[in-house]
Amino acid sequence: MANKITINPVTRLEGHGKIDIFLNDNGDVADAYFQVTELRGFERFCIGRPAEEMPRIVPNICGVCPTPHNMASTKALDYIYGVAPTPTAKLVRKLQYNANFIEDHYIHFFFLAGPDFVVGPDANPAERNILGVINKVGLDIGKKVIEVRKKTREIIKLVASKPAHPEGGLPGGVPRGITEEERKTIRRTADLSVEFAQFAMKLFKDTVLKNKNYLDLVLSDAYNLKTYYMALVDDTKKVNFYEGKLRVIDPSGNETAFFHPNDYADYIGEWVEPWTYIRLTHLRKIGWKGLIEGEGTSLYRVGPLARYNVCEGMATPLAQKEYEQMVETLGKPSHHTLAYHWMRLIEALQAAEDLQNIADDPLLTGKNIRNMNFQFTGKGVGCVEACRGVLIHDYETDDNGMIKKVNLIVATQHNAAPISMSVKKAAQAFIKGGEVKEGMLNMAEMAFRAYDPCLGCATHTLPGKMPLVIDIRDHEGNIIKTISR
Amino acid sequence: MKNRTLIIGLGNIILSDDGAGILIAREIANRCHSLPDIDVVEASIGGIGLLELIAGYKKVILVDSIKTAEGQSGEIYRIDVEDLGDISYPCSPHFLDIRTAVELGSKFGYEMPENIEIYAIEIKENTTFSEILTPEVEKAIPVLVDRIIADHIV
Repeated sequence: MANKITINPVTRLEGHGKIDIFLNDNGDVADAYFQVTELRGFERFCIGRPAEEMPRIVPNICGVCPTPHNMASTKALDYIYGVAPTPTAKLVRKLQYNANFIEDHYIHFFFLAGPDFVVGPDANPAERNILGVINKVGLDIGKKVIEVRKKTREIIKLVASKPAHPEGGLPGGVPRGITEEERKTIRRTADLSVEFAQFAMKLFKDTVLKNKNYLDLVLSDAYNLKTYYMALVDDTKKVNFYEGKLRVIDPSGNETAFFHPNDYADYIGEWVEPWTYIRLTHLRKIGWKGLIEGEGTSLYRVGPLARYNVCEGMATPLAQKEYEQMVETLGKPSHHTLAYHWMRLIEALQAAEDLQNIADDPLLTGKNIRNMNFQFTGKGVGCVEACRGVLIHDYETDDNGMIKKVNLIVATQHNAAPISMSVKKAAQAFIKGGEVKEGMLNMAEMAFRAYDPCLGCATHTLPGKMPLVIDIRDHEGNIIKTISR
Repeated sequence: MKNRTLIIGLGNIILSDDGAGILIAREIANRCHSLPDIDVVEASIGGIGLLELIAGYKKVILVDSIKTAEGQSGEIYRIDVEDLGDISYPCSPHFLDIRTAVELGSKFGYEMPENIEIYAIEIKENTTFSEILTPEVEKAIPVLVDRIIADHIV
């Protein structure tokens, strides 16, 4: 047995966060393509299993969005069994779901956006990481991030057994209710989360909005992409992470579709291109138009920026106030890709305020946590907003409730084509005449990171990190430069 | 600090060989469940989750899958944390490495393990959903279980 080995971290990680940039005859950027590893055989894996097992299986698809997969799957079961959750069960689900938004958004902001915005895009790469962020904001804030994460994950654990891979998920209900004692703890966590959300907003405003260089970067053409947007909204068109209708707006901000998620196949087309395993989504009624932006495109984006553009406001008062400031600064629609980060923080605030509301709701501790009045249909579509955007689970079963068909559309699939285009635009600013300027890697990464894309579920395989690899190719497809950290 | 050892099996149990670390942890737990100073857990998490898991333990043994350029499926490695490369800026926070997690924990004043050892099995298949392992990896699992027990438990 070898006792020690040296690992080349990019070795055999082809496809994990890989970007190919193609240059034209003049050495300028012609195209960029974002690729992820293909995970095969999920439908085959599920076929023949009882539908009730799905909420427990699907969190294992992805180490990044386990709770949204669990929730979309549970909602699909509601339809398969033709049963709506009781009001108390719905509150408990939303408790779990808001807790997920808080912990996920903060980890993204402090670990992923923080190094760019708090430490600085031009800072020494050795310091541009979470440790650099802690050095800037102070240890106490770093500890607070960890504390908020821990406490919100305790809520997920309470409801669904395991925060990393929730196991709860029953048609028409939830596996357990909430006690009065637990309500008090939840309220304390909600208060802590609101307080922290306000701190994070202030940090963002102080470090980004008050810094002309950063604001110029956010507003620059390199990080601007004109697409359609799609998101879930409630009846009053306010942001709703758990339920609602899917609304689509065009690049000028006009509503072009407003439909029940059950009808998603009428509106969302999936297109196969040779350069990616991902079936690229687009607006079916327009048809596939390729990787283009502007009024002629059929591409749409999902996630925080899409929710900002699609909604007509936030569902809670403090978040609404922050949203209004964002509208005042950026207008609507905003096509600034780096504005994903700003909306992410506003959403974390809404989720925290909503936790407070749920904690105060007398129904939360009700005993009626399951509706067993099943009207079996054998078909179900579950749709939620994952932190990264619209997530759809579509199942069909046989008469015995055994899975016979599965289709999933995940956020990174909706965003895959726009991610490629965002990287292309960022790269265009840094590659001219075949010359790759210093800083190209981080500029391209910033475009990519704004979406917080999922890169498949083998996230833990050693060495435990997936560096982005960028291959720059000439017009004949030959690699002329490979960049990775 | 807890005067204890934590054995963590990492992996995804529905992605074929990727579940090797978890299966090893299960087998160690079966054979050593009565030992008072050893905790065995299964996890499918990255660095920040690991930080919470390992805080307070004196010694941590991580068992995971690995893919290297020249490796043969089923090969077993012992790796030092330092071998995993420098602390870097990952393309997602979910990919924080164990080294960054340890440094972060130390900075926060958490009691970080004095000793972290990593064992890994070279795997072949982790991109197809399946609960079946490839034969080479399946054969290597009891070998690595014996090795970890011999190195750290008996």
